Amino acid sequence: MNKILLVIQREYFTRVKKPSFWILSLVVPILLAGVYAIPIILAARPLEHANVLVVDDSGLFQGQFRSGRDITYHEAGSIDYARRQLEQTDTLDAIVYIPARETTLPRDAYLYYRTDAPSMTVQSDVNSQLQEILRNRILLDVHGLTPDDYTMLTTTHIKLRTQDIETGRDSFLQVKIALGIILAMLVFIAVFMFGSQVMRGVMEEKTSRIVEVIVCSVKPFQLMMGKVVGIGLVGLTQFALWVILSAVAVTGVQLTNADLFEQVAQRNNRTEIASKGSEATTQYQTAQYQAEQYQAGEGIDNSLQDLIQGLTDINYGLIILLFIFYFVFGYLLYASLFAAAGSLVDNDTDSQQFTLPLTIPLLLSILLMPAMINEPSGSISVWLSIIPFTSPAAMLLRIPFGVPVWQVVLSMLLLLATFPLCIWAAAKIYRSAILRYGQKTTWRDVWHLIKR
Amino acid sequence: MLSINNISKSFGSFQALDGINLHVRRGTVFGLLGPNGAGKTTLIRIVNHIIAPDSGTLVFDGHPMTDTDVMQIGYLPEERGLYKKMRVGEQAVYLARLKGLDKTTAEQRLHQWFDRLEINDWWNRRVEELSKGMQQKVQFVVTVLHNPQLLIFDEPFSGFDPVNADLLKREILNLKQQGSTIIFSTHNMPSAEELCDDIALINHAHVVLSGPLADIKAQNPGKDLDRIFIDTVKQ
Repeated sequence: MNKILLVIQREYFTRVKKPSFWILSLVVPILLAGVYAIPIILAARPLEHANVLVVDDSGLFQGQFRSGRDITYHEAGSIDYARRQLEQTDTLDAIVYIPARETTLPRDAYLYYRTDAPSMTVQSDVNSQLQEILRNRILLDVHGLTPDDYTMLTTTHIKLRTQDIETGRDSFLQVKIALGIILAMLVFIAVFMFGSQVMRGVMEEKTSRIVEVIVCSVKPFQLMMGKVVGIGLVGLTQFALWVILSAVAVTGVQLTNADLFEQVAQRNNRTEIASKGSEATTQYQTAQYQAEQYQAGEGIDNSLQDLIQGLTDINYGLIILLFIFYFVFGYLLYASLFAAAGSLVDNDTDSQQFTLPLTIPLLLSILLMPAMINEPSGSISVWLSIIPFTSPAAMLLRIPFGVPVWQVVLSMLLLLATFPLCIWAAAKIYRSAILRYGQKTTWRDVWHLIKR
Repeated sequence: MLSINNISKSFGSFQALDGINLHVRRGTVFGLLGPNGAGKTTLIRIVNHIIAPDSGTLVFDGHPMTDTDVMQIGYLPEERGLYKKMRVGEQAVYLARLKGLDKTTAEQRLHQWFDRLEINDWWNRRVEELSKGMQQKVQFVVTVLHNPQLLIFDEPFSGFDPVNADLLKREILNLKQQGSTIIFSTHNMPSAEELCDDIALINHAHVVLSGPLADIKAQNPGKDLDRIFIDTVKQ
């Protein structure tokens, strides 16, 4: 027993001391903090102000372009004058030119620039204002409708909520799908990453021939399990570091950019108040209020609110416990098989023959993810989440959607019953194969090794 | 010290050992000789409990051999290897602890041995930075560090340059003087002749010749061990 601890110690510390372990431990939280912070920093960043000169020879757009926070529109009488301005003035960024009409409605408009093309913001603002102004013109001239009438007619406030009829709670499907995918991918990647480390470790011992000395001191089973457990602990350490360092990195970003986050939070608050007001809005209320709200882009902020609500709706304690369970036992199951695969081969290229069949079940549960998301309680989902070889990824995918207790219990029991069998078979293969050199192993040999 | 009684082992249809009987006397150097593929390494692995025999028994120090007795063996395999990425000292301590030594004793003894073999400067180097001969020295030290009663060297001189081979030879004789029993497998006859008290010649899974070296030489007057080896194998 003491010896297996020594093996575990060696496997653990030689890996944890490697620079690559720490690089990976740092890179993931930094990426995460980046993903979190960059959109907010970008959103809060003041844009460069642009000046645009409008030349309207069609007579339809006169005085209609509205200046905003980032863009100011000025008017000019002739394109020649505007062109001279653009050539001579540094502060002018572009010219919008609408030629005289040959038909009832103008077909083309131009955005002229010198040297530097105007930003996407300018281009899309000009474009949307062109469309809007022209549309309002048609509405008024042909149908006799004002822009406010139009906004009122086209903006509705009905929203489909998917709810449990008993609890009356929203299902927050999008959030659950995202969470399920993250959990399933994480367990899949972890089992493979650390499982193949076990295989490489076994191959290292075999090809360097040190294994012959070691099996004089420890039983092959102890050596194999020591390696599996040691590397598994490396995996758990890596997870713990990711969680802690991510929390530190995200808080760090928040603290160092406190003013930016404040700004964004305030902006969200404003729109939240606006959209809360919208529930009381009736069609009798002033159209101006509605138009304002229309500009606020309430759609985006409502879904943000949903996200936050959805995230608070999830039972994290349960998810973390199940994640640890499925990682630990899924890993033990696969890692022991990877160890057996490593003991069967002398070199990397031969290992493919045995690792491919191992990867198929887990890969299957990842490939069938879309089908499972579509029907989290369908038969594919249920079967995959109960069969031990696919259950780690499949069950974690389903968990956020809510799974009947008996299915979770059955899946866990089956996994608990299967992993010792895998370790037993793996140990039998490992014990005999670890000292075989130079022979190419076939699947029939493997079967004989297990039977012996 | 060690009796090998009627040991047989086959791998599938291949008979590796067939009814092997040998006796290794305490405090002697026992030469296990034979051509490649004769079954020497298989026999050594059985003695080390790495593989189990199909039939036969081992008697160690007067009692049926158990797993704990294996701790009294120091084994240097023919194909030698160490963890390439690990540091020399760290690795040697690990291997010594697997043999049951505690950390302090292991470090103490290792420094003594390393001083003697002039490899102490390499304590903190990675194994992959060492020359092959240097790695062999480290392995030799690790093999003998726990003061085993029985030492098994499988082709110990392969890969050593003449200077280091001579050093190793002296160390082996030194260990014998200190009371260790040594099994020494080789097909280098001159070194066997120099070191061994008893020999056994194995060919095609059978012991074809065994006994004290002096007796065997007396029975074959005028022949050196090389000649005796070739003649016996050819019969």
